[in-house]
Amino acid sequence: MLSKAGKLFVRYFLLSENFVLYLSVLYFVVLSLFIPHMASGRNLTNVSSNMWPLFALVVGQMFVLIVGGLDLSQTSIMAFVSVIGAMLMTSELDPALFENNILWGTLLAETGGPLGGSVLATPVGIIVMLIVGALVGLVNGVSVAKLKMPPFMVTLISMMFFGGLAIFATRSENIMHLPASFVAVGRGQVGLIPYSFFIALILATGTHYILRHTVLGQWFYSVGKNVRTSMVSGVPTQKVIIIAYIFSGFCAGVASILYSARLEAGRPTLGQDLLLDVIGAAVIGGISLYGGKGKVHWALFGVLFFALLANSLNMMNLSFFTVQIVKGIIILMAAAIDVTRNRLIIRGIV
Amino acid sequence: MRLIYIFLTVTIVAVMFIAGCREQGDSDDGTLTVCFAFQDLETEFWVASHKAITETLMAKGIRVIERNGNEDANRQLEQVRDAITQGVDGIVLIPQDGESAVTIVGEANRAGVPIAVFNRPPSNRSNPALVVVSDNESISEKAMAYMAEEARKVGGKIKPLIVVGDLGDKNAVARRQGFYNILKANPDIFLPHIEVPSKWDSTTALANLEAAIQSNPDVGLIFTSSDFLYPQIKAVLESFGKWKPRGEEGHVILGGVDGDTTAYRWMQDGYVDATGVQDLYYESEVLLGALIEAIEAGEATPEKWMYDLGFALTQANMAERASDMWGCRLLEEAKVKND
Repeated sequence: MLSKAGKLFVRYFLLSENFVLYLSVLYFVVLSLFIPHMASGRNLTNVSSNMWPLFALVVGQMFVLIVGGLDLSQTSIMAFVSVIGAMLMTSELDPALFENNILWGTLLAETGGPLGGSVLATPVGIIVMLIVGALVGLVNGVSVAKLKMPPFMVTLISMMFFGGLAIFATRSENIMHLPASFVAVGRGQVGLIPYSFFIALILATGTHYILRHTVLGQWFYSVGKNVRTSMVSGVPTQKVIIIAYIFSGFCAGVASILYSARLEAGRPTLGQDLLLDVIGAAVIGGISLYGGKGKVHWALFGVLFFALLANSLNMMNLSFFTVQIVKGIIILMAAAIDVTRNRLIIRGIV
Repeated sequence: MRLIYIFLTVTIVAVMFIAGCREQGDSDDGTLTVCFAFQDLETEFWVASHKAITETLMAKGIRVIERNGNEDANRQLEQVRDAITQGVDGIVLIPQDGESAVTIVGEANRAGVPIAVFNRPPSNRSNPALVVVSDNESISEKAMAYMAEEARKVGGKIKPLIVVGDLGDKNAVARRQGFYNILKANPDIFLPHIEVPSKWDSTTALANLEAAIQSNPDVGLIFTSSDFLYPQIKAVLESFGKWKPRGEEGHVILGGVDGDTTAYRWMQDGYVDATGVQDLYYESEVLLGALIEAIEAGEATPEKWMYDLGFALTQANMAERASDMWGCRLLEEAKVKND
C-alpha cells in the first residue's frame, strides 16, 4: 500500500494529465543546473522557435489520431506545399538550374514565379499553401472515409506521391529569393517571442475551441472511440473523418510556411526525417494511437518535451549517434511511463 | 488549473534564479571553441574531411563541438543556433546544400560569430563567410581531358555517360560543366552523351545507371561526378560484362572526381583511367587558418573565398603524383597501421 504522500504524488504528478508538462519543466530545471546557457534568453528563444512548426504538425496529426487514423503524409505535404508556395513567390530563378523544369517559360522565368516581386506575393502565396495542404488532406480523407481504404496505406501512398511530385516539380532544386515579408514569418520576433508563436497560438486556440466547445469536436472523439456506435447515433462519421484529414493537411501547410520561411527557401526534401518526431511528440503528449483521446495542450506538452530533449542533447555536446540513442531511450521510457499510468488509472489504485 | 499556475510560477522564478547564477558563474578558460557542423558522413570524402578538420583544430588546441545534421537542413540550422547560444568562437560548416548554407551563414552573421564553409559553397554571396571550394569545373576538365585522349586512341566515335550529382549543389553543377566543356572541345570523338542523375545517393545512382546501360549498351566512357559511386558503376558494368581493365577488349574508359581510396585502388588495377583530385588537406588547412585568424582579430563577419585548383591523377602520372592524392594517403596510413 502507498503512503499518503505517495498517493498524493501518484495522483497529482504521475496520473495528472499535465504529467508531461511537469516532466518537461523538471527536466529543464535539473539540466539548467548542469548545462551552461540552458536557461539563457537566447536558448529559450531557440527552443521556442523550434517548437512552433512542429507543434502545428502535431496538432494536425492529433485530429487524425483522435478519429482513429494516422497521417504519414504530413511531411510530404509540407515539402509539396513548400515548393508550390516558393514557385509562386520567388522573385528570381537561375536558368542554369531551372530551364529544364516543365514550367519554365510558362509559370517560371528568370524573374521568378507568377507573383515574384508583387506585394501580393506573401499573402496570396500563404493562402495558396494552406489551400493546397487542405486539398491534399481532402484527398486522403475521401480515400479513407468514402473508399474505406486503410489510413496507413492511403497516407503512405500520399507520402510517396507528393514527396516524389515535389522533387519532380523542382528537379530537386531548392527555390530561394522568397519575399522578405514571407521570410519574416519564420524568422521575425517581438522581443524574445518569435512570430511563429503567435501563429501557433491562433492555431491552438482555434483547435481547442473546436474540440472543447463545438458539436464537431465531440464527434471527433465519438468517431475515434467507436465508429459504429457513432454512426448509429447519427454522427456523420465520413464527414468527420474527412474533416480531420483536411485539418491535418492544413496544419502541414502551416508548418510548411514556418519551416520554409525560417530556411528562406522552398525545399522539395523539407522535413523528410520529421515524421517520427511528429508521432513521437503526439504519443508522448498522451494522444492515443487507438483513437478517441487527445487534447491541444497535450500536443503542446509533447512538443515541448521533444524540443527540450533535442536542445539539451545538443547542449551536452554529444555525438549524433549518442543523441539518437539517448532520444530513443527517453521516448521509450516516456511510453513505458504512459502505459504504467494508464494501468494505474484502470486498476483504480489511487 | 490552479496547480498548473502555481507550478509554472515557481518554475519561472527558479529558472530566472538559475539563469542569474549561471551568468555570474560562467568562466572562460581562454580556450577557443569552434562548432563543426557537418551534413553527414556518408562518403569517404566527407569522413576524411571530418578527420582532417577535427584533427587540425584539436592540434591547434581548439575545443571542437561537433554537430551532425544527418542530411536535414532544418536540423543543421537548429544545431548551429544551439551552438551560437553556447557561445562558440567560430563555426566550421559543411552544409546540406548551397541554399541552406546562405541561411546558416546569415544566422552566424547576425550573431556576430565568424563562419567558415568547407567545400560546398553558399549558392550566393549575400552573406559574408570564409569559403574554401575546389575548382570543380577545372578539376573535372583535367580528368576528362585525359579520358578524351584515351578515347581518341580507341578510334571512332564513343558514347559518353555522366553520373551527375545533386544539381542543387554547385559542386555537382561545376563538375558536370567540366565534363561538357571537354565534350564540346572534342566533337569528332564523342556521340551525344547520356546523363544519369544520382542526387548524391548510391541507390538512386545504381537504379538509374542500370536503366541507362540497359538502353545504351554501347556506352564507351563513364564519368562519375563523385568517386563514391564507383562501386555502383562496377556492379552495373559487371552485370553487363563490361567491367574490364585497360588493355582488354571492351574496356569502358572510366574517370571521376574526388580522389578516394576506391579510385586509387582501381586505378592501380587498371579499371579507372583518371580521377580529378581535391586536396582536402590543403582545403582544411587554409580554411581553418583563415577562421582562426579572423577569431583572433575579432572579425565577426570575415569574407574570403579560397580555391583548391586540384589536379588530375591519370594512368600517365600515377607514379609521380599518387602520393598527393588523399585516397592514396589514407590507404597507405591504413597499411602502416595494419603492419
